[in-house]
Parts: sequence; structure tokens; C-alpha cells
Amino acid sequence: MLRLKRIPVTLAVVTVLGCGASVAAPFAYISNQLDDSVSIIDAEKRTVIDTVKLAGKPAGIAVAPAGDKVYVSTPEAHGFSVLDTKSHSVLNKVIVSEGALGIAVDHEGQRIYVADWYNNTVSVVSAKTLEVTKVVTVGESPSGLIVSPDNRWLYVANRGSDSVSKVSTETLTVKKTTTVGKHPFGIITTQSGDRLYTANVESDDVTVLDTASMQPIASIKVGILPYAVTLALNDSRLLVTNQTDNTVSVIDTETFKQIAVIEVGEKPEGISTHPDDRHVYVANWFDSTVSVLDAKTLTVVDTIKAGEGTRAFGQFFSK
Amino acid sequence: MKKNLLFLPVLMFAFTSAANAHGPVRQKADEEITINAPAAKVWGIIKDYGDMSWLPAVKNTTVDKGNEIGSIRVLTLQDGGTITEELKKYDADKMAYGYKITEMSTAKTITHAGNEEKVPVLPVDNYTANIGVEAKGDTSVVTWKGAYYRAYTNNNPPAEMNEDAANKAVADVFKAGLANLKTLAEK
Repeated sequence: MLRLKRIPVTLAVVTVLGCGASVAAPFAYISNQLDDSVSIIDAEKRTVIDTVKLAGKPAGIAVAPAGDKVYVSTPEAHGFSVLDTKSHSVLNKVIVSEGALGIAVDHEGQRIYVADWYNNTVSVVSAKTLEVTKVVTVGESPSGLIVSPDNRWLYVANRGSDSVSKVSTETLTVKKTTTVGKHPFGIITTQSGDRLYTANVESDDVTVLDTASMQPIASIKVGILPYAVTLALNDSRLLVTNQTDNTVSVIDTETFKQIAVIEVGEKPEGISTHPDDRHVYVANWFDSTVSVLDAKTLTVVDTIKAGEGTRAFGQFFSK
Repeated sequence: MKKNLLFLPVLMFAFTSAANAHGPVRQKADEEITINAPAAKVWGIIKDYGDMSWLPAVKNTTVDKGNEIGSIRVLTLQDGGTITEELKKYDADKMAYGYKITEMSTAKTITHAGNEEKVPVLPVDNYTANIGVEAKGDTSVVTWKGAYYRAYTNNNPPAEMNEDAANKAVADVFKAGLANLKTLAEK
């Protein structure tokens, strides 16, 4: 049965590749910071299909909306690398600034935003020319970045200032900055963009912001040293990596209550949702593995070995 | 000039507060040892968070709240230096606990890039670790894992405060501790 089923699938993939269209979906790109590499995981088979060497202690990940490129921040190389998803080769190394860490790409694939840990800035880089076109000053030690679904706003977690800045992508100026919990790091918005969630490393909680007013709606206690956040099941579940607890907190976004705590590997950091909106991948930094969670059954369904020091900070899935 | 401005706030936090540095890359230490003694016996030696007499580098330990989460212990080293730690996790059933360093005394002061730098007794920053015992039949395996940054939180570290120095220092402590624990447990 299985074999019969597989044949048409294989044929279809070959056909697509032969036509030179984009690579069949979806892949997770996991930065291995201590190995200077990126593991490419085929999310259908849940296996690492390739590991690409990439110098500069790769940390942050952003996947171009077309799925053709992955932007990987390289703090020790003071910028980011451009990874070609077809050839699995590094196309460019872009120098941005001293402490490049958080990275995001806009929904049109035109701009790459790079937060700088030391300079308290976000650099705006043209995806076409790979040149810095503007530098926006934000709060202290900006880390997590996310672009609103309508592409109009860039949200920045200012870790050192305990705040989130809302930056207009049109004027590239800060419209509003709101205080959240202590040391916000990873952030995510809902699909409609109406809400934003921050993982606050030092206050062990998540802040929920109404993005229109930038007013906090709620604060939810999670585990110790929460690092990053993602949403699943049509935004009904918020999943948070707790670094010191080696767990992922699952929060019901209607009631703002923690409904489950799932044990994962040691020092879970980056977290992203599979395009199926149900499975969630977690990079376990200490174990150098990736846990695959099912947001519906609230269980770990797979653990994938990657490289040393899996970090994967950002939106690391191609659609 | 710019560097000097950045430098001051970083230094102020370096030895007191945790989780302030993500410029440098976090490092890890992971050591384990097999001990020819039952797990309960081995755990018996290390289970009191306030008793670090099994670690050769430590002269004495004081503790304020025993094995309660949040308990603070101060390790006084053979050379007089001190390390203050906070208990973050404790699981007697799993025979494991986790802790973080909250403060350290200065081992020496060096000059680097025209500035005075205080090298802490363990040249690390934002250090967390956990230790646990696992039964393997009549023997046991003890695992000690640490995650930390180099002591120098700005760019271009001096040799005394770089990743190599941090990794060597932590690995040395873990190895010496586990070797002594084996000796004590197998007696």
C-alpha cells in the first residue's frame, strides 16, 4: 500500500523540480551555532537532508516568502548570510553591523530587517541589492523581530529596555514603544496581526499586546527563562520555550491559561510552526536536537538530531 | 569612543545580573562519569545542595534555605575566592538539581584595550548548570552540564576572558568534581 502510494508523489516532485519551479515544501532551517552550520530538515520525512557550513556563529533565521532564500544572521561575522534553498549554497555574506542577531524578512520579500544587539538599531537591507538602506534606532539590545501580516509594521523586542517598538515600514520611524515584561526576546503576531505575544526572559512570563493600541491585554506566567513563542491551530494555542525548565508551555489564547507543559530537550530556544499549523518544531540548544510537537495532542511526536548548539531564532519554516 | 560608552553598562552588570549578554556565543560543558556504586549512594553524596565538600576546589559552603528552590549557597574556594549560586530546580525522584551563578569574586584584574578588567574566579558569565545521577543496574552515571558565556561580554575578549578560558575552567571543575565523586562513592 505504502509503496503504491509513494510512486505518484515521487513522480510529482521530480516533475516540479524538472520544471525549475520552487522546491517542494516545507523545510525547517535550523542554525547550529556551535557548529557554524545550518541543518535543513525535510518536514515531510522529518529528517535532516543536508547540513550547510556557514561561518560566523549562525543564530537568527528568516525565510524569504518565496522560499528560495534563507537569511541567517551571523553575529560573529557581523551580519547575515544568504542561503540558496535549491543549491544549498551560501550566495552572499552581508556585513551589517557589530552585533547582528534578530532577523526578519517582509512579506513581499523586498526587505530584510536585522537587529543589532550592541548598537540598539534595526538595519533595513534591500533584498535585491543587499545594501543597508536605512538604520532605525530602537530600544536597548533589540532581539526578536516580526513583520505584521499586512506588511505595514515591524515589531521589535527591546530586550534591554523591557519594551516593544512598533515601527512603520513606510516611514521607517518608531510609532510607539510599549513596556512589557522583563527582557522580551522572541515575539510573534497572530495571522490577522491584531495581537502580539512576547516571551519575557527575566520575568518568566508572556505579555499579550493589542497591536492597534499597543496596550497590554494580559500577562501570563510560564516556565523559567522563556525564550521564544509561536502560534498554532488557527492562533488558538501559544507555545513558549522555557530554557531552564526544558519545557514548552502551551497557552489557550482565549482564556490566557496555561493548558499544558510539554517536556522537550535541554535548553529549548527557537520555536516555529509547520505550515500545516499543527506541528511545532523546537530547537534544543544543549541537546543539539529538534523536537517535533503536535499542538493538538500536546505531545512530542519526533526528535531529530541536528548540529551542535541548535538555536534557530526566528521564523525558520519555508512554506 | 563608541566602544567605551557601550562598555560601561555591560561591565556593571557582568558579575551581578544574569542573562545580559547575547553578543557573544553561549558555550557548553558536558561531562559524565560511570561510578561503580548504586545511584542512591552517589546521590546521597551530592543531594545536599548546601554541601559541596565533594568538590575539591571548594573549602566550605554556606546555604540559606537547604534544598528549597531559590536557596542561595556561597562556595568559598581553597584560594579564598567565592561563588554565589541560586538553586533553580530540584528533583529528588530524578536525583537531579539545577542552579545558576549569581555573583563571583574577582580572581585578578587585568588591563585590556586600555581598560581595567576584573576576571571572575570562574571566567564565565550568565552560567547555569545541572547535575544528576542515573541508575545503570548496580552502577550509576553522573552527568554534569553547564551553559554559559565567556566572561568578557563585549567584542574582542582578552585571553583570560575568552571562550577557551571559559571552556577550560568549567571542564576542569566538572572533571575534578566527578573524579572525586567517583573516588568517594566507590570507597
